[in-house]
Amino acid sequence: MFFRNIILNLKKYSFLLNQLISRDFKVKYKRSVLGVIWSLLHPLLMMTVIAIVFSNVFKFSMPNVNYLVYLMIGLTFFNYFSEATNNAMGSITSNAALLGKLYIPKYIFPLSKCLFVGINFLFTLIPLYLVILFSGSGETKCVITVLHFLLPYAFMCLFVFTLGIGLILSSIAVFFRDIFYIYSILTTIWMYFTPIMYDLNAIPQGLQFVFKFNPLYWFIDFARQIILYNQVPSTNCTLYCFISAFAILFLGVIIFRKTQNKFIYYL
Amino acid sequence: MITLENVSIKFNLDIEKNFSFKQLFISLFDIKKYKNRKETKKKNDFYALKDINLHIPKGSVVGLIGANGAGKSTLLKTVVGVMKPTTGRVVVEGAISPMIELGAGFDVELTARENIYLNGAILGYSKDFINSKFDEIVDFSELHEFIDVPIRNFSSGMVARLAFSIATIVEPEILIVDEILGVGDLNFQQKSENKMIQMITGGTTVLYVSHSLESIKKLCDTIVWLDKGRIIKIGGKEVCDEYKLKMSE
Repeated sequence: MFFRNIILNLKKYSFLLNQLISRDFKVKYKRSVLGVIWSLLHPLLMMTVIAIVFSNVFKFSMPNVNYLVYLMIGLTFFNYFSEATNNAMGSITSNAALLGKLYIPKYIFPLSKCLFVGINFLFTLIPLYLVILFSGSGETKCVITVLHFLLPYAFMCLFVFTLGIGLILSSIAVFFRDIFYIYSILTTIWMYFTPIMYDLNAIPQGLQFVFKFNPLYWFIDFARQIILYNQVPSTNCTLYCFISAFAILFLGVIIFRKTQNKFIYYL
Repeated sequence: MITLENVSIKFNLDIEKNFSFKQLFISLFDIKKYKNRKETKKKNDFYALKDINLHIPKGSVVGLIGANGAGKSTLLKTVVGVMKPTTGRVVVEGAISPMIELGAGFDVELTARENIYLNGAILGYSKDFINSKFDEIVDFSELHEFIDVPIRNFSSGMVARLAFSIATIVEPEILIVDEILGVGDLNFQQKSENKMIQMITGGTTVLYVSHSLESIKKLCDTIVWLDKGRIIKIGGKEVCDEYKLKMSE
């Protein structure tokens, strides 16, 4: 019943969702010279800067691994998460004028932000594959295999998890505006606690379990096992991705549904 | 058809004071205030609507009158579904079209054409519907030559004209009107007022809020007088006169 309602609603509001997403697109790129090319360029530039800093300044190296690809996977995943959650967080409060005047299911706004950034994420796969194709040599050369068809699973888990966090944040932001400042610090901490630029094995063995509580680590690891090592991801990893993503979405839906009727008094 | 059964809406006046760490910090040192917090919370409860029972049959035009803060807009919001009643029940049969604050759904970076689609989607129109009514919207707004210009370059009157044209293109089953707005220049004001009057008298169910007793008297068949969240009187045009008398006392 509950799920049927959601699907009926999504159908009913798909045109609105469509319009909100295309609005975000137009607004984002309209007034920049390079436009959508920035979506491709940005991750490449980030990767270059971090790679230079880590391999030359910190003398960090990973033997037999294509570090550029390693880095790029972590960056695209984390950037999606961070941008989508930040966009979703303000999506309710910035539409206060509308929500006070007419009835629209409120979850449409965080959902549209997660989808919009998701489409951007799909664009960043282009630079990712460029790096996969054109970097490394000998042992560190990545090959594209049929296993890459498993990657959408990681994308889906990442999306589901991000939507869950986005729902929670957008709801908190209505009652507690300080969350905008707090979360920007939290994202920074979260980024350094996710093995994006370094290898988990660089962390002392006794502390590694802390890092494994982080679902983002598992989504990234799933993709890395496929792209870097041509391995089928372990059952543990696959399960953990699924469970953590849907548990957070479930929590997000519950929190959002519980609080959404009070939004109007605080907007 | 709209039915409200024992509808009450309770506000807490504390709500404006959003929770912040600064306040938490201060309240830590203000033990007395902290102890009294529960009491003040109760004291600050305020009913925007109290035990409202109202039945609006299909096709009737209902005018809401009352002083500022009587609960007229809150009543509209409850019917639209923006506010859930604290207690009681609201039953609405039929699609509602609220006259939203003109231009609330616009994005200034988009062109007029793009905004017609965006705002239409927000108002719940389908793509086919907007496609079929597009020319009519543009004709009514008289903005033909500016249709592909970002509306950040529009004057406020032009934005209002566009918004009005989009909002009034439907023939809704239930129409919610918060003041008849004449927007734009003198010429367009007359045109937009006529359009709204035409919509109101077109046989749909209408909930109409206005401070102009004259237009209420002219357009409505039922008049509801609200004061401090309660219904004082429901009746025909004579309610307006009683209200006027009361106000001039």
